[in-house]
Amino acid sequence: MAALTATAPARPRKLLASRKTRVGILYALPVVVYLLVLFVYPIFSTLLLSLKNTDGSLTLHWYADALTGVNLSVLFTTLRISAETAVLSLVFGFVLAQAISRLKPLWAGLAMLVVVVPHFVSALVRTYGWIIMLGDKGLVNETLAWAPGAPFQLLYNELGVVIGTTSMMLPYTVLLLYGVMRGVDRRLLAAAASMGAGRVTIFRRVYLPLVGPGLASAGLLSFILSLGYYITPALMGGPNQTMIATLINQQVTKENQWNGAAAQGVILLVLTLAGLLLVKAVSSLGASRKKRNAS
Amino acid sequence: MAEFGIAAPSVKVAGGKSATATGKSLSVVALRKTYGDVVAVDEASMEIAAGEFVTFLGASGSGKTTTLMMIAGFCEPDSGTITVGDRDVTRLAPQKRNLGFVFQQYLLFPHMTVSENVAFPLTLRGVPKAEIRKRVGETLEIAGLSGFGGRKPRELSGGQQQRVALCRALVYRPPVILMDEPLGALDKKLRDQLQVEIKSIQQELGLTVIYVTHDQEEALVMSDRIAVMRNGLIEQFDTPRELFERPKTPFVADFLGAANFLPGRVEKHTDEHTLVRLDNSSGLLKARRHQLASGTEVKVAVQPGRLRACASDDGFCTGTVETATYVGTLVRAGVRVDGGQAPLLRLEVPAGRGPVAGERVGITADPDDVNLFAGEQGG
Repeated sequence: MAALTATAPARPRKLLASRKTRVGILYALPVVVYLLVLFVYPIFSTLLLSLKNTDGSLTLHWYADALTGVNLSVLFTTLRISAETAVLSLVFGFVLAQAISRLKPLWAGLAMLVVVVPHFVSALVRTYGWIIMLGDKGLVNETLAWAPGAPFQLLYNELGVVIGTTSMMLPYTVLLLYGVMRGVDRRLLAAAASMGAGRVTIFRRVYLPLVGPGLASAGLLSFILSLGYYITPALMGGPNQTMIATLINQQVTKENQWNGAAAQGVILLVLTLAGLLLVKAVSSLGASRKKRNAS
Repeated sequence: MAEFGIAAPSVKVAGGKSATATGKSLSVVALRKTYGDVVAVDEASMEIAAGEFVTFLGASGSGKTTTLMMIAGFCEPDSGTITVGDRDVTRLAPQKRNLGFVFQQYLLFPHMTVSENVAFPLTLRGVPKAEIRKRVGETLEIAGLSGFGGRKPRELSGGQQQRVALCRALVYRPPVILMDEPLGALDKKLRDQLQVEIKSIQQELGLTVIYVTHDQEEALVMSDRIAVMRNGLIEQFDTPRELFERPKTPFVADFLGAANFLPGRVEKHTDEHTLVRLDNSSGLLKARRHQLASGTEVKVAVQPGRLRACASDDGFCTGTVETATYVGTLVRAGVRVDGGQAPLLRLEVPAGRGPVAGERVGITADPDDVNLFAGEQGG
């Protein structure tokens, strides 16, 4: 088709192109409408809401409010917990994916199923599961009853939140890292060994650089996903672990404060977009390198 | 170490071996490896001299790669010993053996540049930076890769990548370099070119190389000695000429020389020759003297290129030319031997003097080119 249009004279080609365009618009119409109604309109109305004063004039007052005092510390808490979650899910995800990638295909498939299936269970149910497990009379504390200092406070603090969010993020990091690790040619490691590299050196200088881009995108992904997490922090954390999504919910449902909530929503959106851009930059860096190498 | 003799190709001595050989000798004694009931390598033993180019030649499943992997340390032998120089390495991990390995798939580190790849084994050995730069530069120059140091492996062609892999294996002057079908992934022309290059680098630096291939021509071109392997056994370990001219088993005669086999029986001996009466033929075939009792059933093996067509009463047998194919410098003829069964006797004769289809010919051969194998030897 491409060759045909390229060799055809200028006028019919133009005609064809324009007809193609018209048909294309027709096909795109449902998507455009869908996005306009369900995506563009809500976002712009939220943006508008966040900029509107109670008397209807434009203001940055809500943003100033969202970025001072308690609200600012909530924002920082959100960033901190998300970072902790990202690091932990990366570490556990790495170890898990590493172990799974060494299994025989059948066992690897089963292991991946075990990792992914919990994800199909509602986050609410899983969170309550954790609460039962981690409570004063829960499985963990019962098992550790002999230890000095028991029962341990595993809930309604930052530890509880991070345990919860990390478990929610784990399937993502494991899936991502598993894919990357399967792509590493194990014979490269043998090649390094043949030249005299020990296990630590092989890991540090050959394996890690090869899975590095995957690690970066897995970490950023779980960071971004954690930013907007609501149920788990709200149920497993204490007042000091209030995250931005919880705050937004409080403002809307308890204080009927839509403008402030909108401003915080926009801030969350901007943070998420920034994170996504970072992921894209990291992965396109890898891709462009690959592309350059392939040519 | 300082005698890395690149600047002094004059050290080359007769026999193609360098006077300043960096390679060491290697000996393998009664090496055995089984996988379940399958014997992959059966009591393989050989002595390889310093600076020697040795090829393991065989079909897939012959045990050549398994033997190489055991020498490299990637797979552990059930029994036997491997000695490099005077160091027993049999049970050492690959990274402790200090050998070089060139893989068929190059296996360059994709995240490193060419220079970094070649420098990698040196950095592991704590060589100072300035020294690394110098040696990487020198090694790349030997392989004709000067100016490619800053590129990534994927920016290079297959042949160039394999040259880099070669550099990476020889930059740290390992006592023995192992190569597992390094040219297997390249096209014919490039393969021919790299065979010559690898051979000349090996001679110049006096490297001990063990090379694995299933390509007979490659083995013949490059090797000082070839170990022909089959079913986990070394059939014969000899120079290319010996293997070609004096095969010890019918398998070697067939595998390397694509020999014609004719059944017969030893009739008598003269001072210099053994005379064989071929089955279904009245003629007597003269072979060089073999230690075989009269009456022994033998297989006569003669390579197609060593048979000649002659007047029909001068040969050891007669026949009719059934096919004659002109292939440039040669004519390949298939001769139906009188009284003999299939297959056709294959001849390669210089074009121009070649027989034509339908012609009646006699077949003769120089006694020195005739190899006899006692009947019970497997083929």
